[in-house]
Amino acid sequence: MPREPILRLEAIDKKFPGVHALDHVDFDLYKGETHVLLGENGAGKSTLVKILSGSLPKDSGRIILRGKQVEITSPYHARSLGIGMVYQELSLIPSLSVAENIFLGRLPRRRFFFVDWPGIYKKAQQILKRLNLNIDPTVLVRYLGLAEQQLVEIAKVLSLNEQILLFDEPTSALSEEERQQLFNLVNELHERGISIIYISHHLSEVPLVGQRVTVLRDGKKIATLPVKEADEDTIIKMMVGRELKEQFPKEETSPGKPILKVQGLEIKGSLHNVDLTLHEGEIVGIFGLLGAGCTTLVRALFGLEKIDSGKIYINGRSVTISSPEDAIGLGLGYLTKDRKDGLIHPMSIMSNITLASLKKISQLGLLKHREERRVGEKYIDELRIQPPDLTRKLMYLSGGNQQKVALSKWLCGGSKILIFNEPTRGIDVGTKAEIFQLFNQLAKQGVGILMISSELPEILAMADRIFAMRRGAVIAEYRRGETTQEKLLKSVS
Amino acid sequence: MGEQRKKLSTTKNNPRSTIPSRVPSVASLMSQWISMGGEVIRRNLLKGGPIIALLFLIIYLAFASPYFFNLSNFLNITRQSSINAILAIGQTMVIVGAGIDLSVGAVLALSASMAAVAVSYWGLNLAVGILLGLGTGALTGFITGVIITKGRIPDFVATLAMMTTARGLALILTQGLPVPSHFTALKLVGYLPAGLIWLGSGNVLGVPVPALITVAITILGWMVMTRTTLGRAIYAVGGNREAARISGISYVRTKIITYTIMGVLAGVAGIVLTGRLNSANALMGDGAELQSIAAVVIGGTNLFGGEGGVVGSLIGAFIMGILGNGLNLLNVSAFWQRVILGLIIIGVVIFDQWRRRRFAV
Repeated sequence: MPREPILRLEAIDKKFPGVHALDHVDFDLYKGETHVLLGENGAGKSTLVKILSGSLPKDSGRIILRGKQVEITSPYHARSLGIGMVYQELSLIPSLSVAENIFLGRLPRRRFFFVDWPGIYKKAQQILKRLNLNIDPTVLVRYLGLAEQQLVEIAKVLSLNEQILLFDEPTSALSEEERQQLFNLVNELHERGISIIYISHHLSEVPLVGQRVTVLRDGKKIATLPVKEADEDTIIKMMVGRELKEQFPKEETSPGKPILKVQGLEIKGSLHNVDLTLHEGEIVGIFGLLGAGCTTLVRALFGLEKIDSGKIYINGRSVTISSPEDAIGLGLGYLTKDRKDGLIHPMSIMSNITLASLKKISQLGLLKHREERRVGEKYIDELRIQPPDLTRKLMYLSGGNQQKVALSKWLCGGSKILIFNEPTRGIDVGTKAEIFQLFNQLAKQGVGILMISSELPEILAMADRIFAMRRGAVIAEYRRGETTQEKLLKSVS
Repeated sequence: MGEQRKKLSTTKNNPRSTIPSRVPSVASLMSQWISMGGEVIRRNLLKGGPIIALLFLIIYLAFASPYFFNLSNFLNITRQSSINAILAIGQTMVIVGAGIDLSVGAVLALSASMAAVAVSYWGLNLAVGILLGLGTGALTGFITGVIITKGRIPDFVATLAMMTTARGLALILTQGLPVPSHFTALKLVGYLPAGLIWLGSGNVLGVPVPALITVAITILGWMVMTRTTLGRAIYAVGGNREAARISGISYVRTKIITYTIMGVLAGVAGIVLTGRLNSANALMGDGAELQSIAAVVIGGTNLFGGEGGVVGSLIGAFIMGILGNGLNLLNVSAFWQRVILGLIIIGVVIFDQWRRRRFAV
């Protein structure tokens, strides 16, 4: 590998109102290298990469690209410099087709201004095929699932022939199988000589894709290491600044009586004859690949999907759940898979936290502000939400902190049955452990937790029982310790 | 503050204390109050692009025309801006909930016509007449809300349709004539009762009645938006409809209630306007919907929903009123006044957006 870096960042500094996002950060990238960028929520990783891709202006510092200093003024400019980016919050347009999104901004033309429509779909099909993606290029993006959207986003960037690629949490919505696909892609790109900056929360991915690792914390660069020296414990200590005792602190509980029972749940085309029981104080994990029906099952329980047949029992009583209002009234709570669906961006942290429990903080329709503030402060404290300002609008929080607010919303509702769909998505190692501690506390209080997770170590460590799903049916049920990562993965494939 | 009082009593009750070093002097109390007040003012200025604009406008006009800066002129302005302000309060609630109501002017006319007809032609007493008028407004609002939620039609389209429909109904009701009128075929009972006129043209201790009504409605509107679960639901539905749904908030109920309230307020505005004009007719409030939207926008509410407030809209309506009045006093032609209003709308909104980005408030 040539020693002169293709990209060098010197003393990059960026401030947002109330937050020093990047504090004179130095960074370099060699040609053909895959450099992994790690750090807790709000450490500055996304900010750094957004500055490189032209989405954000830096306050000060120098960017030296191929030996020459540049000012990156817009994403378009970045693209013309050969820098492409896959965003954590996708940059696709839902009302356009897959092919149009892939060629966004550079639709192939015939003569003058006329678009080459047949050509677009054919070219898009080629690109998708080359990346082993089985997605119809004419489908409108809004009809794709989140994981598929992420894959299209990746396809879009890969088709650009850039020399420097930036990946911001590309695997967060992907299943195990798809993650492997992505790693293969990244390695292939690496072999083609493309330089990559790769941001991820999944520490296990690091040795699979990278050559060097840089750790950021609170906007400062802590260290850059070759991947061989970057074992999980060392990295975690650098990211968190302290020893992390246990990643998955599970406390054994003795489950009580069944609080939720599902019998013969059927939704034509998505769920077949699903049976499931959840007891008080129990954590039940649900695991399956994309399209297996995990999310559909859980949405049906929360009144977001129409059930064709089957029964649901809560505390032994047969119930009909036809809306989230019904579900919440029956003591259920649901943390959505895509946090955009569960949070209101222009509203404050406090209002978001109390949104599903308005009855609790109001009397005859009038809100009790003191009570509301108390609740808000409690959860800002417990989950260490940054910045700890009740009135701050949610849109100014980092992704991970937004996830914490989403969690708080359901925690404060006093639900007896909590459904978490990918609860630690986009959350750093340190906070993950805290969240699992919370799960333990909740279980001790007798709350029943249903957890969908695509992270095998997580689900294997925390769940008392695991339901494996495939093609809309429950194909296996395992108790804690009865299965391994490989066995579980195989059973759902 | 309570803390200070506690300290005072303990030192008083303790005979052994000499000169208490903790007793706050009047000066330090005053300086505390000033800094607290300063903080409130600072926060409001940061949030209050419209207030700043209002202040500038007042200062400029005070110097530009000798007739501007006096009490009777200001009271006049409040009377003139009241209609727009009342509508703007309702429109704020609709817009924050990610909706828009284009039928506001038509519903104003329909409600006013109903009240006037009830009182002049049907001989009903004033209170009943007013209730009928407000009820008409509420009913149209309710129907609009149902059409939007159950019919799944965009707010813009539904209220556009309601606009022409309500106008038509008003014309039918009044036979196209002002109420009361000597030419009507229906039985003419009398002119509009004094009470109704008073609502639009009267004064209480020198303050125009419409202004008092406006203030009352603003306070009520503010309370609903910031202190009730309904208000929270409106912000939620406007900010992210799907997230609101998942949090158990009923989109249908929130929307319908919002539009019903708007309808009632259109009725209030209509009755006040009737009082000012001494009669009602089917073409009242022509263009009122756009005026109310302008007031909301100037006031800083986000047209896409989820953010904003009624106080801002009140200021927006007031700015428009002052502008009209001031430009009249300066002898600016009515045509140029429209151009200037347009420029002001753009200017205030640009300033407001900039302020938002700069201070992340």
